[in-house]
Amino acid sequence: MSGPGLREPSQRVSPRARLVWLLEALVHSAVVLAVLVVLGPVWHVLDLPWWVFALVGGVLAAYDVVVPQWRYLVHRWEVTETAVYTQTGWWARERRIAPMSRIQTVDYVEGALSRLFGLASVTVTTASSAGALEIAGLDKLLARRLVDELTVKADAVAGDAT
Amino acid sequence: MSALDHDESWQRLDPRMLLVHPIREVGRFLPVLVGIFIAGNAAGGDGTPWELLGVLVPVALGLLRYLTTSFRIAAGRIELRRGLLNRHVLSTPLDRVRTVDLTASLVQRVLGLTTVRIGTGTASTDDDDRLDLDGLPTDRARALREELLHATPEAREEAAAPENARVLLRFDPMWARFAPFTAAGLLLGLGVLGAAFQLLVTLGGGTDELQTGSLLDDGVSLGWWIGLLALSLAGLATVAALAVVGYLVGNWGFTLIHTRTDNSWHLRRGLLTTRETSLDADRLSGVALSEPIGLRAVGGAHLSAIVTGLDRQQQGSSTLVPSAPVGVVAGAARDVLGAPGPVDTGLTGHGPRARLRRYTRALAGACVVAAAALLLVVRAEAPASLLVLVVLAPLLGAVLAEDRARSLGHALVDGYVVARSGSLERRREMLAAEDVIGWNYRATFFQRRAGLTSLVATTAGGRQSVTVLDVPEGAGVRLADAAVPGLVSQFLEEPTLVG
Repeated sequence: MSGPGLREPSQRVSPRARLVWLLEALVHSAVVLAVLVVLGPVWHVLDLPWWVFALVGGVLAAYDVVVPQWRYLVHRWEVTETAVYTQTGWWARERRIAPMSRIQTVDYVEGALSRLFGLASVTVTTASSAGALEIAGLDKLLARRLVDELTVKADAVAGDAT
Repeated sequence: MSALDHDESWQRLDPRMLLVHPIREVGRFLPVLVGIFIAGNAAGGDGTPWELLGVLVPVALGLLRYLTTSFRIAAGRIELRRGLLNRHVLSTPLDRVRTVDLTASLVQRVLGLTTVRIGTGTASTDDDDRLDLDGLPTDRARALREELLHATPEAREEAAAPENARVLLRFDPMWARFAPFTAAGLLLGLGVLGAAFQLLVTLGGGTDELQTGSLLDDGVSLGWWIGLLALSLAGLATVAALAVVGYLVGNWGFTLIHTRTDNSWHLRRGLLTTRETSLDADRLSGVALSEPIGLRAVGGAHLSAIVTGLDRQQQGSSTLVPSAPVGVVAGAARDVLGAPGPVDTGLTGHGPRARLRRYTRALAGACVVAAAALLLVVRAEAPASLLVLVVLAPLLGAVLAEDRARSLGHALVDGYVVARSGSLERRREMLAAEDVIGWNYRATFFQRRAGLTSLVATTAGGRQSVTVLDVPEGAGVRLADAAVPGLVSQFLEEPTLVG
């Protein structure tokens, strides 16, 4: 179309993030299957034929295999002197750009699963509740350095960030 | 002496609130009271007046609330102290006060009292974190509002001068004709129609008679049809009247005033409960002109403000103009924004692929409905009249899609980002470019294939964001770059890649 579009952010997240996403996907799949099994064969609330289980199992397996990899291909981030730029999602891709001057807080979170793999996420919030930027699946050390860098850069810009 | 000086020591709210609180508390305790009364009677009544307890407790609670609540304005801060068991002290600097809202319920008005609600733009949604001075004498409340919004006595004097205030808009009772066409009015109307139909079906002896053919052949059924018609019309008339009354009660005496010295907007409305809202113009980052389909059909619209300092529970007070003729509403929007461009400029459409996407989305949904109807008729022997849906659903879908496609558009005029979308609830949102915090580009797999993206301008006020739906990616980038220069331009594709 008319004019250039946005390029992707330059940095990838840690390859280990795929494992975290895989584990999360597996947990979700297990929950869905468990609910089906309880409703069907155990409680006999729903009388499901065997092929429903096969179908659901197939879809979930495909989800577990494909989505973590897909996420890894999509998730990227970049920090410049004046802005933060992230790209997240898989089916729906979301790119978020926030100027350094509007950053209000920088959060560092180690989730329970992420900790197992030495990962952490950094969330940058602005005065708009629609505008938080999350970079998930960063290497712990890198994430800490990023938090310091962002804090210094956001401080360096004048204004009250509203 | 300024009111601020005598506010320096801790002081209570108006003692007349002692009358208001018990009435409120009794209202709140009414279900319990009824329960106690019934239980007391059922137990045979041994003479112990348990009901009295049900009255005394609320009265005691009201008294306690009055005794434990106090506030002061000192050292440039306003502080509110309340609570008996959990002491709660809320404190905010005076220069953080963004809006001051005066509300008086009917009981309060009889007693000459007003609630002062101070908005600071906090993101907290906790009720405990709201700065409400519930119950000051009305004069005092007005004076306090002046104090809070004007720092110096000179500014106050200047503000009191008559030529300072300019009335932009005054209520016209004729506007009430739009009330039945608002979303709430339409929904109520549909509900009444449904209820009338249901009643007739029940009285008429089951759904079997609903086959159109048999109903029309049958003399008795014809009577039912006329009954249905009369009942529906009567119901609709009632709903329309209720909507009009509700509108008049809520908006009676509506005025929109601009004061020059402090550059702020003042709204007043309400017949029984009066509300006065003051908005600092610096905090007003834009307006949204809504035309729900019913209102649009009769040439109406309403206007709301995108403003920081009003939380979600106060959404009602972000209304700038209630349902009114679209010309009046647009005029008010021009005045508030200080420029005609954002309201009047024709918008850049989003092109054929955005149009196609509206159609695929609307028709896909319609086809599901049609297929379900077909399946029900063929497999489950549902009444054949359902087959109407097979034709009607795609037709309605197409009409909706066309209208949605036509609504799509964006522009950047006079420093405002303008975006319009929607059909049933069409909104034209105008947000000052300087109040745009950041940009989100959201695109699903299908949107990416069509080269489209939904551009979201995030902001601290109103709904927190303004969405430019399904804009071609290049146009979305250009819009963001023009509105906030230098931000997105550092993330552009290499021109050579585009070719």
